[in-house]
Amino acid sequence: MKVRVVTKILEANDRIALENRKIFNRHGVYVINLMSAPGAGKTTLLEKTLEQQTGLRIGVIEGDIAGTDDAERLETFGIPVVQINTGGACHLDANMIYEVLGDLPLQDMDILFIENVGNLVCPAEFKVGEDIKVMLLSITEGHDKPLKYPLMFQESSALVLNKIDLAPYTDVDLGKIRRDALSLNPGLKIFEVSCKTGQGLGEWVGWLKETGLPGISG
Amino acid sequence: MHEVSIALNLIEIVSEQCRKSGFSRIDSVNVRIGRASGIMPDALNFAFDAIKDDSMAKGASLQIEVVPVTGRCGECSNTFSVEEDYILSCPACGGSSFSIISGRELDIINMEVS
Ligand SMILES: Nc1nc2c(ncn2[C@@H]2O[C@H](COP(=O)(O)OP(=O)(O)OP(=O)(O)O)[C@@H](O)[C@H]2O)c(=O)[nH]1
Ligand SMILES: [Mg+2]
Ligand SMILES: [Zn+2]
Ligand SMILES: [Zn+2]
Repeated sequence: MKVRVVTKILEANDRIALENRKIFNRHGVYVINLMSAPGAGKTTLLEKTLEQQTGLRIGVIEGDIAGTDDAERLETFGIPVVQINTGGACHLDANMIYEVLGDLPLQDMDILFIENVGNLVCPAEFKVGEDIKVMLLSITEGHDKPLKYPLMFQESSALVLNKIDLAPYTDVDLGKIRRDALSLNPGLKIFEVSCKTGQGLGEWVGWLKETGLPGISG
Repeated sequence: MHEVSIALNLIEIVSEQCRKSGFSRIDSVNVRIGRASGIMPDALNFAFDAIKDDSMAKGASLQIEVVPVTGRCGECSNTFSVEEDYILSCPACGGSSFSIISGRELDIINMEVS
């Protein structure tokens, strides 16, 4: 017998993501799903952000396949950090986030960063309850990335082009990255940043304040 | 990359539906996968076969319909489809404001149960 199903395969995940979102909204915390390939500089960007006097109360959920290195790096800033090990899975899903919500003082936070597993493909598929997605691309990854991984560029609200200090040592075409990324997603906000020299961090943090805390202006 | 998670979600949903309909065996499942969904049909088939044995879908075959990427131009209203898994501009007028109509699907359509 034929049975009609007509359901999105990710419906179960999307439903939990919506629950998470409601919980975040209720506590007035703005949630940023931070995504990139392994080693593009997600944890370093968070460290550099925490070093600035932002006035923002920041918490972090660290998603890694294994290990607690990233969470330990951020704990030294005295902020709430929770580590999730996905045990092999290449992305965080909504249920993994739901399960750790009780470990975070949500009512005392303005922004919660969720550092996703390093991967350019699937974190964009799985909503976790975030307000926005922010993507990092280290410029040494090459200027062909927007067209090779379009979904992530389309889903993100902002793109941080990191390791800009390394530009002189490569033949990367930053103009092409910008053009292709903006073609895929005309509303994309792009930052050129070096976590090593500090270039561009001011602009990034200013945007973060405006976006994550509409009351305070940058 | 995460075809296994997708296959697990898929089997969970169809098993629940099968049980609700009062049947115990799933013979085939039809899904629709967009070209821009990030899912490779071959990898999904492989993952489905690898994990179906412990479920009601043990003997099921998976039919995948691949949906092309189509868009509508915001400037000239032209509707078009592309070969790639992304759209950069309208092929008719070159305009770059468009909306994506299809290509992101990850949908279960129906199944055969007994
Ligand atoms: N030259 C240079 N190196 C950087 C910059 N930002 C980060 N790095 C280095 O890049 C390496 C990886 O940085 P991480 O912050 O650990 O990267 P990640 O994205 O968190 O990595 P995973 O969590 O493993 O995916 C480290 O050795 C950083 O010091 C930068 O702007 N310039
Ligand atoms: Mg990290
Ligand atoms: Zn994945
Ligand atoms: Zn057009």
